[in-house]
Amino acid sequence: MTTTAPTRYVRPALTTRALTSVLHGSPALLSLTALVVVFAISIANQPGILSVTGLTLMLMSAVPLVFAAQAQMLIMSVGDIDLGIGALIGLVTVIAATLLNESPVLGIAMLLAIVVVYALLGLIVQKRKVPSIIVTLGMSFVWLGVGLQILPTPGGATPEWLTAIGRWRPEGIPAPIVFIVIATAVGWYLSRQSRMGSRLRALGSNPATLEKAGWSLVQTRVLAYVLAAILIVISGLLLASQTRSGDINSASNFTLMTIAAVVLGGGNFSGGRALPIGATLGAVTLGLITVLLSLMSLSSSLQSAAQGAIVLAVLAGRIITERFAR
Amino acid sequence: MSTDLTSPPATRVIGGRTSLGITWPAWGWSLIGVLAVWALIIIARPGTPFEPIAQALSLAPFLVLVALGQMLVITLGPGNIDVSVGTIISMASYVSVAVGASAGPLAGVVAAAGAGAVAALCSVLAILLLRVPPIIATLATSLIVSSATLLLADASRNAADASLRVFVNAKVLGIPVIAIVVLAITVVIALMLKRTRFGLSVVAVGQSARAAERAGIRVWAITALAYIASGTFAGLTGGLLAAFISPSTVLGTSYMLDSIAVVVIGGTLISGGRAVPAGAWTGALFFVLLSGLLNLVGWSIGAQNILKGVLVVAVVIVSATAAGTGRSSLARLRESFTSRTIKKEKNNG
Repeated sequence: MTTTAPTRYVRPALTTRALTSVLHGSPALLSLTALVVVFAISIANQPGILSVTGLTLMLMSAVPLVFAAQAQMLIMSVGDIDLGIGALIGLVTVIAATLLNESPVLGIAMLLAIVVVYALLGLIVQKRKVPSIIVTLGMSFVWLGVGLQILPTPGGATPEWLTAIGRWRPEGIPAPIVFIVIATAVGWYLSRQSRMGSRLRALGSNPATLEKAGWSLVQTRVLAYVLAAILIVISGLLLASQTRSGDINSASNFTLMTIAAVVLGGGNFSGGRALPIGATLGAVTLGLITVLLSLMSLSSSLQSAAQGAIVLAVLAGRIITERFAR
Repeated sequence: MSTDLTSPPATRVIGGRTSLGITWPAWGWSLIGVLAVWALIIIARPGTPFEPIAQALSLAPFLVLVALGQMLVITLGPGNIDVSVGTIISMASYVSVAVGASAGPLAGVVAAAGAGAVAALCSVLAILLLRVPPIIATLATSLIVSSATLLLADASRNAADASLRVFVNAKVLGIPVIAIVVLAITVVIALMLKRTRFGLSVVAVGQSARAAERAGIRVWAITALAYIASGTFAGLTGGLLAAFISPSTVLGTSYMLDSIAVVVIGGTLISGGRAVPAGAWTGALFFVLLSGLLNLVGWSIGAQNILKGVLVVAVVIVSATAAGTGRSSLARLRESFTSRTIKKEKNNG
């Protein structure tokens, strides 16, 4: 893995890289296989989903999750984990359904404040060397508290323009696919294509080298947190555009789902890796599983257990495939 | 490249030594917090200075019990955390009531603790066999456990046994019996950490899993035992809380963050390797008194959550600076090999 881009380094052609990643067994292959299997089961259950409308309904819930997964991927690429993502997305939906509608300036200021807080978190984690898990877990309660203060019970209404985004249905192609592709492209640009992406991954894999190369570790980590915060805000806004209301608990399962999506897509916990396509595939798979579970009319009590078991099973599958690959 | 080695990562200072030679205990700050909050309560509602403490002593033991288990897990080292305790408590409350109705209250509480252990076993299997990071493993377990809770909640409509209710509310000389029992458990755990092979192994694994393994400690067994202990304590707490409050699907929800916060506030190192059982008490009393104070002053649940979260973050920042601990085991390990330079001030970027 390259750390910083040397001046005379020439990237291999896209085809060469794609071929190599297939030959080496891309980490995202497992997630792709899981996606195909889940999709096949869904079609067998409900043949109607093979249409633009069907796919739209099926994939809609995955859209915010994909953006959140890209955010989690950026955080995990620098070796951290964000445990506050679910509560924060809930808070963004609350802000979208209340402040953003009533006084847009205050609403936008709140959303910007979230990004600033994330920059501070990055600063704290790097400067004070505190575990990101605990800091973000603590922050999740702050988000929850703020959300409850603004909107104690689910409700409110999203602004017109946001609802319009949620209602947007292009001809011939399911809208969620457009959003998912955009999210992946953004994640791919941020983490793989741009120079800052190399810096983020270098911070996760070898901070000492990054520092010797003349980059500020603090700035790099703050950058990762800020980029993640922006993606989280987008994810929350998209979720609000679909539900058209605010609920602090609407995304509580996103925390586990995003981490699982990143790991499913080939990411790891020690940092240094960012696989945006894998993360998207993982998020779509997990989102589809949720939809599938409700399609299969599984008792609502059992749904969370099924989700937990599936996440464990998929992660187990990854261990097994990695062992065979070696 | 300068080659001077700074801050050897393996050495740790327990507490801080003052010039007088008195060791400042790791739980000292939280004790100051307890006294400060207590003083504030007395100011807010003068008249009965010991009533808030007596009240706190009846609620805190449950939190202490969960925190002791969480402490063992956190002491195992970076990345080790049990986020399933909250849902285990809720599930165990139903188990306690359901089994208690047919086989007596004692069997109910034992079954609750057993249910907690079984749930923890699920996490342990995921951590050790599937090599899933603990936080994901315990999160997944908590999802499974919450389904079990919902199923149990549908099935049972029992209330807790009367004799168990009497036991959890009983007082000797104004001190709740449950507090005395939990204090005894705390002492046992403190002695275990200092004297027994298992206790010392937990601390050793937390300081360096690699060194512990080289020294012949079976790290996997210690890890498994610590998680199972945490699950068992959470189950026990749920079983008792069923009688103290009543079974509910959200009975344990707040205990997840609270237990972690209590452990951290109590002086246990979040990066592992140092357990402070006494800190579980001061931390728990601080938390219970604080929420009493906030209720007294009339803060909303939302505001209380904000304060709690900010407190946890603040304490982690302060304690991490004090102990000079690393971000994660991997990062620390990496730093010990690669970073031989003092952090230089760099402005370019």
